[in-house]
Amino acid sequence: MIAPPTTALAIVVIVVFGTIAFALLATRRIKMDPQQYIVGGRSFGTIFLWVLLAGEIYTTFTFLGIAGLSYSQGAPAFYILAYGGCAYVIGYFFAPAAWRVGKERGLLTGADFYETCYNSRALGVAVAVLHFVMVVPYVALQLSGLQILLRIAGYGAYNATAAVSIAFIILALFVFSAGLRGTAWASVVKDVFVLGAVVFAGIAIPLRFFGSPAAMFDRIVQAHPHMLTLPLGGAFHGTAWYVSTVLLSAIGFYMGPHTWNATYAARSDGTLRRNAMLLPLYQVFMIFMIFAGFAAALIQPGLKGTAVDQSFLRVVAQYYPSWILGLIAGAGALAALVPASALLLAAAGVITKNVAGDLFGIATSDASRTLLTRVLVLIVALLALGLWLAAQRTVVELLLLYYNGITQFAPGAFAAFLWRRVTALAVAAGIAAGLVVAIPLAAANVNPWGINPGFLALLANVAVLTIVTLKGAALRTAP
Amino acid sequence: MLLAGIPIAALTVAVPLVNRIEPRLFGVPFLLCWIMGWIVVTPAFLWTIGRLERRW
Repeated sequence: MIAPPTTALAIVVIVVFGTIAFALLATRRIKMDPQQYIVGGRSFGTIFLWVLLAGEIYTTFTFLGIAGLSYSQGAPAFYILAYGGCAYVIGYFFAPAAWRVGKERGLLTGADFYETCYNSRALGVAVAVLHFVMVVPYVALQLSGLQILLRIAGYGAYNATAAVSIAFIILALFVFSAGLRGTAWASVVKDVFVLGAVVFAGIAIPLRFFGSPAAMFDRIVQAHPHMLTLPLGGAFHGTAWYVSTVLLSAIGFYMGPHTWNATYAARSDGTLRRNAMLLPLYQVFMIFMIFAGFAAALIQPGLKGTAVDQSFLRVVAQYYPSWILGLIAGAGALAALVPASALLLAAAGVITKNVAGDLFGIATSDASRTLLTRVLVLIVALLALGLWLAAQRTVVELLLLYYNGITQFAPGAFAAFLWRRVTALAVAAGIAAGLVVAIPLAAANVNPWGINPGFLALLANVAVLTIVTLKGAALRTAP
Repeated sequence: MLLAGIPIAALTVAVPLVNRIEPRLFGVPFLLCWIMGWIVVTPAFLWTIGRLERRW
């Protein structure tokens, strides 16, 4: 008889390595130049892109976090469903337009877009550096999720930190060799596992413990009715928070450096349009994680703090055989590693192209650029690992920087299509204003009037952008 | 553009108005049903927009 921790962990290892091997096999015949490596040769069709974008979006914190938030607070978790719907409506208009600019000018990174549209190298470099700064903690966060999964899959018997470090270095080597196309193939496998795990969690757990999901909700209506609606107005996680958070997340959705890569990777603008049309359907599966969170709240109440993210895994570990836990933890591990690989690639891409190439004139030929991106993938991976090992507690606070910060790039990106008079200076001033408002509020964890601080920062950003643009125009027309 | 605003409005500013448990559909509380319903019909809205744009 093999001990349960060995079975569960062995399955996780098989799932992760199987995925990597599959992705490497799928990409082994492809010759790498920067276009191929960073944006997949601009050749992805609707379905392949759907899987890649979905793979980048649904990270380990969607996997663990939705259940965790449903478990601890209930209805505020619904925002995760809602913002996707809104984001894709925006993306339906924005992504095809951004793709056309990228195709015409041969752009590789999000920072390139700002540089081209506003004709300012300084803005491009600034965006590149900020993208980089925001991505590293986001990668580190995926490692925290991975650690939770491995610790539970090992039933606490093994050193999860060492396991995370090993898994992550293997991942970096994988990105080194396979590029964006490899990440997309890994996403295909990941989606199959994650969907299986999610349906199991949302259907099988309520069936076993309550008879049906409907019966589970009957129990919650009796026991915790407050969990099924949002608190009113400006209360903590109330309706004001909900509306501002949904809008903020939806606006920031296509702004991540890795999302830029995925946008450029499309075969045509029509592909992106069909893609935005189909992506909301992926959100539907997330409802099962909400079911799982509610089920865990009834089965195993009383978890506090960061332990809520482990709620549904703990139920699985306690009541189900170890091989089921292994499959679910394997799905979760892929949900951490696949987005992490897309992020590594994006961070390495912006530094190679916008900082090393454009600013310092290093590595401008195709071959040297691919090589530098590959080396930087490894360096970024080590940086993220170092940050994670050094500051495991504060990483969650850094996530706030990512979400609140990345949205501040949106006004500049949208204005490129909507308002011709906007200048590089105005965009830069807007981003700066947004960050100045967002970072202190997010760091202090304050929600003025119950509104998400990132949303207030976004308003400040737009106001400054508008004022600087109008002032600039007035100066130019003055004698 | 107006058509695109409808699902966004339904999923954001309309939510305080539907913030309730009853009536439940198949046991699922009304607020959750509302959000799910709008996400499922969003592709239909985008498809319609695409058709209209091509005609113009």
